Amino acid sequence: MLRLVTIFLFLITFIEAQDCIQCHKKETIKCQNSNHYTLKNAINITRNAWGIKDSNVTLQSLPYSKFDIKKPADLVDDFLRRKCLKCHLGVKNSGEKGMKREKSCLACHSKHNNKGKCQPKKIPMKKCLTCHNKEFVGTDYMGLFPKDYHHSFRAPLKKDGSYPTQKYGIDYHNLNQDIHYKLGMSCVDCHNNKNGKNWEKSVTCKECHKGLSKNNHKEYHSNISCSACHSSWSMSSYELSVFRDDTGDYKKWKNLVLQEDGYLTKFLTKALKSKKKIKPVMPDWIDMKLKKGIWYSGWRYRRWEDLVLGTDEKGIIKILRPMFQYRVSYRDENGTMILDDVATSDGVPLEAWTLYSPHTITKKSKSCERCHEINNKKGGVYSLKKPERVVNGSILTKQQLKKLKSDYYKIERYKEF
Amino acid sequence: MKYKNILFIAAIIGIVISLFYIYSNTPRTVEKITKPDQCMSCHSDMSDIDHAHPKEIFGCASCHGGNKFATDKTNAHKGIVLNPARLEHASIFCIKCHKDIVKRVSKSMMQSQSGILNVLKYQWGESKDLNSTIGVDDIRGDSNTSLAQSHFRKLCAACHVNQDEKVFDNQNIARGGGCSDCHRVSKTNKNKHAVFTSKIPTQNCLKCHNRSNRIGLSYQGIFESEGYGTPYKYGEFSHKMSDGKRFYYELPDDIHHRDANMSCIDCHTEKGVMGDGEKHHHMEEAEDIKCKDCHQPQFKKANTLAETLADLNEKVPEPKVIAYTRKFNSPLYNVQNDKNKTSFYRKSDGKKFDLKKMSDKPYHTSDMHKRLDCSACHSSWAPSCYGCHEVYFENGKQFDWVEKKATKGQWQEFRSFLRFESPSLGIGYNKKIMPFAPGCQVIATIYKDKKVEKFHAMAMAGWDPHTTQKEVRTCVDCHFNPASLGLGRGNLDIKNDKILFSPFYDSNKSGMPFSYPIDAFVSKEGKQFQTTSRKEARSFNKDELTSIVSAYKCILCHDNYGDKIYKNFTKSKELFYSGKTKCLD
Repeated sequence: MLRLVTIFLFLITFIEAQDCIQCHKKETIKCQNSNHYTLKNAINITRNAWGIKDSNVTLQSLPYSKFDIKKPADLVDDFLRRKCLKCHLGVKNSGEKGMKREKSCLACHSKHNNKGKCQPKKIPMKKCLTCHNKEFVGTDYMGLFPKDYHHSFRAPLKKDGSYPTQKYGIDYHNLNQDIHYKLGMSCVDCHNNKNGKNWEKSVTCKECHKGLSKNNHKEYHSNISCSACHSSWSMSSYELSVFRDDTGDYKKWKNLVLQEDGYLTKFLTKALKSKKKIKPVMPDWIDMKLKKGIWYSGWRYRRWEDLVLGTDEKGIIKILRPMFQYRVSYRDENGTMILDDVATSDGVPLEAWTLYSPHTITKKSKSCERCHEINNKKGGVYSLKKPERVVNGSILTKQQLKKLKSDYYKIERYKEF
Repeated sequence: MKYKNILFIAAIIGIVISLFYIYSNTPRTVEKITKPDQCMSCHSDMSDIDHAHPKEIFGCASCHGGNKFATDKTNAHKGIVLNPARLEHASIFCIKCHKDIVKRVSKSMMQSQSGILNVLKYQWGESKDLNSTIGVDDIRGDSNTSLAQSHFRKLCAACHVNQDEKVFDNQNIARGGGCSDCHRVSKTNKNKHAVFTSKIPTQNCLKCHNRSNRIGLSYQGIFESEGYGTPYKYGEFSHKMSDGKRFYYELPDDIHHRDANMSCIDCHTEKGVMGDGEKHHHMEEAEDIKCKDCHQPQFKKANTLAETLADLNEKVPEPKVIAYTRKFNSPLYNVQNDKNKTSFYRKSDGKKFDLKKMSDKPYHTSDMHKRLDCSACHSSWAPSCYGCHEVYFENGKQFDWVEKKATKGQWQEFRSFLRFESPSLGIGYNKKIMPFAPGCQVIATIYKDKKVEKFHAMAMAGWDPHTTQKEVRTCVDCHFNPASLGLGRGNLDIKNDKILFSPFYDSNKSGMPFSYPIDAFVSKEGKQFQTTSRKEARSFNKDELTSIVSAYKCILCHDNYGDKIYKNFTKSKELFYSGKTKCLD
């Protein structure tokens, strides 16, 4: 019974799916358990980070925020609905340039043509990248790193003197591309459901790269993920300040209209030009209603050369990234600061460090020093906190850190020179 | 009765009017102040400018001009100047006492800005002469419309000592005024005369030294940020700079600031700042102070200048045996030697600090690091602004800071990204190894009537970033960090003494007109990609790169100077290469 209800809900959300389900019943049912449909990872990581313990909800069961806001946890659902969840299967696109896609099944798959023949099955990368971009794995595969928001970073200008056209929602720096991308591979070449595997579960490199040379892949590195060594750069985005403002105070954002949010860019551009007072409203991307208040955001800084390591639940060492270290502000329509730069909940920082696999793979691995000298690298300059809250693992233990500088390492390293 | 009353009132009014008439037409009785000038008869309530210029001795006219014998306003005020500290007036008034100083300041680089102008022309290919002394006063009114000159006029020339303060829309960031640019600490308000001082507060220096290499900011641990204004506080941006347009975040400040709250002038001598009377080409020629002038001092008896300066300062004790700068032999009257104990006195309040001399530990004395400037190791960070995308609209209009009016042509600046950590190193103007940062990486687009022209002039500049820490950068941060070596950010390795490097940044794909990574000063083969602004300054060459990176083979195990191999490194190496000591023992 419950299952029928969920299928019904699914069909309501995605009218188009009705057509598809007639033939693709199995796939459609499978899809509703997928993370692409429920978005439960993104949702629960964020809710946990903002102080909701053991959160376990999905896009479909995500509640509305309370009216009485006392702490960040009371506001997180509003934040998710209006700032994060622009990219679920129920919406087309959020109005950002280069982000146009259909919804439902067609978000990824192509339609049959009129003759009833299938279009090529392979999902083009461009479709994946309409959601998987900016700070996240996706555009990094193409070597793209998002530029800073301030208008002074929007260079070089075009021939007519106008700002460059954005792709995937923001301007990008071009960094080293993934070797698989250079060789012409697209997302679904690895992320597929061939041989009965779950296409959403992470692909292991070993599925393709069997029989690694023992010379280069020593026993002592057996508990390290491939990407920890073979990724060239990674995404470290420090301190994300987010601010919901229900007053119509737009003027100060005039240099910061580009905030990785297509709706906001359009809204601010209009509001800054308008002589009339425009009400601050922003859509709830789930029920698609315009609601009071605008969510603004800004970073402390972002880096591609930083490297922090952690260990996952199985003891495998991977790269850690901060996503994100939140600082939350909320000002109501009367101008009262309900939350003023709140960065903790019950003394725990509103952060979620995540172990991940940067899609910036190179043939030659990092030099040993990039990991083994990791502690000394920063020279005491950084004032930002060390990771405290790791979502899917832990930071390196003291013992592990000590091992990085062990005599054994030094002897082995010296042999390499 | 009524009639009488009216007559009486009329008579009284008549008397009052005639008395008033008589009073106002009679010359005001001259009060007995005739010293030092008649100005005092009206302005006797004006406060003193400072303790060195008491009005009882100087009066008004000796500085402000006018007719000091006149007793009425019109005659007395004939020819007076409001701000005699402007250099053109100072050379009439101040010069009577401060003879050499006014001449020196007029020739100094803080007035001429010749360093900026000529490096700019050189880097943009408009001049081959790096050592010209043409400055802001020389180009006023000329018809040269070259791009470099236009850029200088519109973006750089706001900052010279004799700039006109009145031309600034935002008085919070007004600069100029001649001597008062630095020496004035408060403005005139009614009968309170502007206060002048020889204890120049850092804030005055910061009026100018907050852009370009941003020394004044870095010294205080302020790094100009990407402009996010985060974290938001009370619903507003936080960490705003005084111009209200730029933002910062806090990084470790210079140890001289943190531990002793020293002002700029605690190190920078009057000759170093106001000039030595010569026209110089570059900052380092005009600069007087060196780290070792204090930390490895040469003591001599205090001279008359030292006594005068200490006397003016009022806080620092009377100097007897003091340190002198090596370059201009300037007295450092606040670095005093007393019974073999060296003390530093803060100029702002005379507070005494123990001065730590440079140790003679191997890290300071050993041969292998003798080419290092102090700043190479002791500077913890440097503001590095990569990619200065300059846009010029020929048909636009923008304020010209030299002519002080809006003229044709408009510049706008864009940038690629900012960094502060692990500054690049290279060979500096003093032929020593020091930190480098973009200075400047110009990628220009010129929008003319019907066509668009482009050029680029990529340069790196070496300077002491003023972010000194007691703790130095780690061995590996210089010897095995590609960003520090000038290769740019990426992956560095070494095999058989051959450097392997793959950079992260792809300049071509990012829309730049060159193929090397924007943060690369030099290739791994030692080919220098970007120019510098000095003949002597350059990136590391191939041999240097190889030897620095190869040294990491030792550093891997021997990663601190306490290690016994550094006690006599030459000998250690001999023993090692002759097989008498083995590695990894």
